[in-house]
Amino acid sequence: MAEMEEIRRGLEEWREAKKEWPERREEFRTDAGIPVKDLYTPLDTEGIDYLRDIGFPGQPPYTRGVYPTMYRGRYWTIRMFSGHGTPEETNDRWRMLYEEGETGFSAAVDSLTFSGVDPDQEVHGAAHEVGKEGVPLYSIRGVEALVEDLPIDRMSVALVVEPMTSAAVTSMYFNVAKERGLRKEQLAGTTQNDILTMTIGYIPWGSLRPADLLKLACDLIEYCTAMKEAPRWNPINFTTYNYREGGIDAVQEIGMGLANAVAHIEELLRRGWKIDDFVHRLAFHLSAHRDFFEEIAKYRAARKLWYRLMKERYKPENPEAYRFRFHVQTAGCSLTAQQPMVNIIRTAYQALEAVLGGTQSLHTNSYDEAICLPCEESVRLAVRTQELIQEETGVANVVDPLAGSYYVEALTRELEERIWDYFLRIEEMGGVVEALNTGWLFNEMSKAFNKRRRDQESGEERIIGVNCYVMEGEEPTPPFRTNPRAAEIEKERLRALRAERDDRRVAALLDQLRGVCERRENVLPVVSELTAAGATLGEITGVYREVWGIWQLPFVA
Amino acid sequence: MEKKTRVLLFKPGLDGHWRGIMTVSKALSEAGMETIFFGFKTVEGVVEAAIQEDVDVIGFSVHSGAHLEWARELVRELDEKGVRGDFLLLIGGVFPEQDHAELMEIGIDGVFGPGTVTADIVKFIEENLKRRVSG
Repeated sequence: MAEMEEIRRGLEEWREAKKEWPERREEFRTDAGIPVKDLYTPLDTEGIDYLRDIGFPGQPPYTRGVYPTMYRGRYWTIRMFSGHGTPEETNDRWRMLYEEGETGFSAAVDSLTFSGVDPDQEVHGAAHEVGKEGVPLYSIRGVEALVEDLPIDRMSVALVVEPMTSAAVTSMYFNVAKERGLRKEQLAGTTQNDILTMTIGYIPWGSLRPADLLKLACDLIEYCTAMKEAPRWNPINFTTYNYREGGIDAVQEIGMGLANAVAHIEELLRRGWKIDDFVHRLAFHLSAHRDFFEEIAKYRAARKLWYRLMKERYKPENPEAYRFRFHVQTAGCSLTAQQPMVNIIRTAYQALEAVLGGTQSLHTNSYDEAICLPCEESVRLAVRTQELIQEETGVANVVDPLAGSYYVEALTRELEERIWDYFLRIEEMGGVVEALNTGWLFNEMSKAFNKRRRDQESGEERIIGVNCYVMEGEEPTPPFRTNPRAAEIEKERLRALRAERDDRRVAALLDQLRGVCERRENVLPVVSELTAAGATLGEITGVYREVWGIWQLPFVA
Repeated sequence: MEKKTRVLLFKPGLDGHWRGIMTVSKALSEAGMETIFFGFKTVEGVVEAAIQEDVDVIGFSVHSGAHLEWARELVRELDEKGVRGDFLLLIGGVFPEQDHAELMEIGIDGVFGPGTVTADIVKFIEENLKRRVSG
């Protein structure tokens, strides 16, 4: 086109003219290593067809958002990830957040709940960690206390547990709702239930083999969605956030997430379900990292890629299945213990990325998280960060305002191509389970975090307070301490439960669970009965470990 | 040939945040030390291994908030076996600066909180082991 030729000529002239203006460095790259030009012009969006590649919000390929009106219709959910001490203390914190304007909840659990261990079990040092990193949820009694006086029929709750404990903890929640006269069909919420979180993001004690974790994750998807037991529940949230925290880049984050989703889809198809039976309820949890435009382009690219995956490979009939819905958490690993107030600024920009990228719900980190769990003041400020974006900036008044930016569109296209290639590499290797078995994914993580360490230590990656603008003699931030008596309280809770429950019934049900595990049937029906009968988390996961064995991790240094 | 410094690294308890300890393990090997990554083990097992493997340094990483409990347990175990003085003890991870002094009082020699540069850990090990040999 003649106009493009003119622009090309103009750009060459401009580049010639600016040669006398030196630049800060020789080359600029995004966080994922994509070269960044000095200037983006219509030449960079050549070949991008508006109707085909960008389109309208709520319409294929969903680049501009999954719903037609986005935040003009309804704001994203303010969903803070929180939990500490005891379920009662966490309930206090949740009620405080509810009053401060939080609109959804997300339960951070402690490492025992993550690993499926009871505090009174003979696991060395288990009691040291009760309630330290999150709320302890070892039995239905814990979940009852967690949601007491909260309107669980009108709010959505995310249970951040993984396949090892997803059936148990989710069924505890469903059983608590039932005690209150609610039906599972009414409940809205999410179980994180991500196999990669447990295998490459955070490595819990006594983990199961990847194939067994995949089985458990798919059991919950099957039970809630395909079998329509809890049709409004999101039975999985592919948590690419957790892998990203390990140091990988935006391309790897979404590439691994898509490959993980495909592993679950294939497993459910293998079980005889049709794609439309379950795919519309698969959700994602992404990170909002440091590189402002790259992150926004990442969300746009992810939506397009999900649409492409569905359209080319699975062809669901339900239009909902083509919408890539996601929660965002600002990057915890970008926070520093030094000059912690600077974390408020970091988080605010990252929250803005998520909003400009069209997230459905958002967690903003608190400024003290590189030191301890958040105190009340810091978490309130983190909520206010989101409220400020909603009430004072006006950015939510227009849908996908950055569309058409030469840079953002070019970057979206570039990321789309790179992510798809990375995803295909994992596919060619046999998918995520195989990539875990061979240690390939560990190697990817390991390379990434060692690279990040070198970049930080060499100063290539600039971090305020750590390798630039360092302050000497800083006053340390007063740390928030969790309840030192949490272990005793939780042990007592279990003692009381064991005294009042019918032990013979629990033992018989545990036997049934053994049979179910041996036959590899869906564990949810019997696990639901178990949690209602007062079985503990450690008893239930103990059966999995006993029948299937523990995974030896293919560590690479 | 001079004997290489041997470091045993482990993560106590149930806390699965493994990135920090793996990063330190890599950095110490790059600096020419022999590192043994011992994964998630009991304190008792770690002390036995440290004796058998004749290591110079025991390092552990805690992100769960249970750093004081784990430090106490490790030191108690070393005392019981009567080998506390044989090792340089290091801790890293996410915990408040206010606790550094208490960790040292418990008996941890080197405390490395968030934002630590791995070169500082290497330097600390080299200087303190030299001091022990000459002292």
